[in-house]
Amino acid sequence: MQTKGFRFWRAKEFVIFVVLVIICAIVTIVNPVFIHPSNLMDILLTNTVLGMMALGMLVVILTGGIDVSVGAIIATVTMIVGNFLAHVSGNLLLAFLVGAGSGAALGLMNGLLIAKLKIHAIVVTLGTMSIIYGVMFLLTGGEWVTQEHIPEGFKSFGRIVFGHVKTTSGGTTGLPVQFLFLVAAVMVTWALLRYTMFGRGVYALGGNRISAERAGFRIDRIIVLVYLFEGILIGFAGVVHTSIMRQVDPNAFNGFELQVIAAVVLGGTSILGGTGSVLGAILGVALIAVLNNGLILMRVSSYWQQIVIGLVIVAAVSTDIVQKQRAEARKTRVDVEITEGARS
Amino acid sequence: MKSRGVLLRPESLLVVLFIVVFGLMSLLSPTGFLRPFNIQSMAFQLPEFGILALAQMIIILTGGINLSISYTAALSSIVGSVLIVLMNAAHLSPAISITAGIVVMIAIAALCGAFNGTFVAFVGVSPILVTLGSMTLFDGLSLLITRGGAISGYPFAFLWIGNGTLFHVPVPMIIFVIVILATYFLIDRTSFGLKLYMIGANPTATMFSGINVKRVLFVLYIYSGLLSAIAGIIMSSRYNSAKESYGSSYLLQSVAAAVLGGTDIVGGSGSVIGVVLAAMILQVVSTGLDILGFNRFLTNVIMGVILIVALSLNALAGSRAQRSRKSTPSALVR
Repeated sequence: MQTKGFRFWRAKEFVIFVVLVIICAIVTIVNPVFIHPSNLMDILLTNTVLGMMALGMLVVILTGGIDVSVGAIIATVTMIVGNFLAHVSGNLLLAFLVGAGSGAALGLMNGLLIAKLKIHAIVVTLGTMSIIYGVMFLLTGGEWVTQEHIPEGFKSFGRIVFGHVKTTSGGTTGLPVQFLFLVAAVMVTWALLRYTMFGRGVYALGGNRISAERAGFRIDRIIVLVYLFEGILIGFAGVVHTSIMRQVDPNAFNGFELQVIAAVVLGGTSILGGTGSVLGAILGVALIAVLNNGLILMRVSSYWQQIVIGLVIVAAVSTDIVQKQRAEARKTRVDVEITEGARS
Repeated sequence: MKSRGVLLRPESLLVVLFIVVFGLMSLLSPTGFLRPFNIQSMAFQLPEFGILALAQMIIILTGGINLSISYTAALSSIVGSVLIVLMNAAHLSPAISITAGIVVMIAIAALCGAFNGTFVAFVGVSPILVTLGSMTLFDGLSLLITRGGAISGYPFAFLWIGNGTLFHVPVPMIIFVIVILATYFLIDRTSFGLKLYMIGANPTATMFSGINVKRVLFVLYIYSGLLSAIAGIIMSSRYNSAKESYGSSYLLQSVAAAVLGGTDIVGGSGSVIGVVLAAMILQVVSTGLDILGFNRFLTNVIMGVILIVALSLNALAGSRAQRSRKSTPSALVR
């Protein structure tokens, strides 16, 4: 959380914002289509899922945890929702309930394992990733849910837009309905972190586990709730994704966890927990979104995109560390404790 | 390994576990599993995985994790393979093109390791993040070179590395044994190895005892990269091609093998023998399940379960060791 005298231009978020603006400017100069309203609407639509998942990941990373099973979870949620829509009921509300419920169940499993086993989350979630993917493919055989099996009502829900924006090809589009879910997720996450005891506990746990415990926070419960919350967000994101694609591909999210983690880290969240903000995470998502879209518009080969994103991750976390070390060096010299070395 | 000479050494437990698993598979499928052909094919498959597990384990010893090992293996073997294939197409002698290719593979992997090492040791970024970024980067570079396809067209002699035998012993197995001995010597018989354990146990204390932590870590990440390259060479020779996805399934399994082999996930303790035994156990389990006709996805599930169970046992042993230590007021810390 921010300290008393919060000044936006001094905050980490401002630096990210400036970088974002610079990248947008470069892309626009190379290809003006970038700032066309329909392209912006397209960016919003294609990154809603990334945004919702990044918010969940933010809360997890704030506690000092990490979750590499998010790709497996959302793939499984979309498979469950897709098959539910195809074979059980086309009811929109039920679809969201099923999605959120299955996401919650998988998140709860992660949370319980991590809280009870007291092992670093990355290893637990590496294990659950393999288990969740395995069970999902075992049960479904990896078969797609194709367009014709998704009920018409659900498809038309996915096409809802607000307002009128002319596309470059002459059609009209607008603000996608899916974006509202991202807005809702932002508000809920922000309120949860800022105004509830749970939110305080998340930051306290990430800052210093032992202090948080002595201050009376129930560590295990916070950990379980954090992964549960993340699971619910992923659950909603799964339904939103299905409404955008109108079909389900079980392999759609292979490697997606990296993008989610990258977005959160680019947003200035410390991987060790304790510092980070909703605003930062959203800026991180925007950065990835603009990079992905911009590289295409600048006609950079898609093979380069992964390289650029990898480099951006390394650069972002390095500048973060270097800044921290400088700030540390400016502090009093009496204290001999040096934060050094290889802890993960 | 160091301070854990309690009642049961974890290694002897692993030997028992190996015998149990091996016996179980033999009982369940006496005609399939015990066939000489199957035993031999396991002997060809184990080395690439075992070497990657060692590459992972030495990093975990220092409290880090290396998510880029399999991608380092893929990238280095792809670059080297391109060279071998080009030189082969230019009708250069196989001996020259293979030597040049292998030198390049090792050099590329050393560069990958140096990249990780620079950011972990000198910049001070946490290993998870660095290797998360570098795995994306290496994978991207591999894709850029191969455009998603596979590189093939080696001279015939290159295939001997992964498929040949020397005195009836598979060549990969001989390479594996050399790697085991070298790694064992490095971490258990040299001062460099002692420093690794110290860094894993307490990096700050290690630094204040006058050890150049940064240099040790930097060298270690290069060594981890070199081991990955060796695994990459074996894989490309065995599959007769190089591709960006080769070995990616070993990433999770390498962590599982390291932890199952008794390596403490927060660093400071672990043994080469334990990890080798664990790799053998996992190899027997996956081959055995395959022979028994289990679905590939189910095998994934079982591997995940093994990882989590191994971790729980590891954590249990860790907390018991904590309790038996008298001095610090650990009751407060729980």
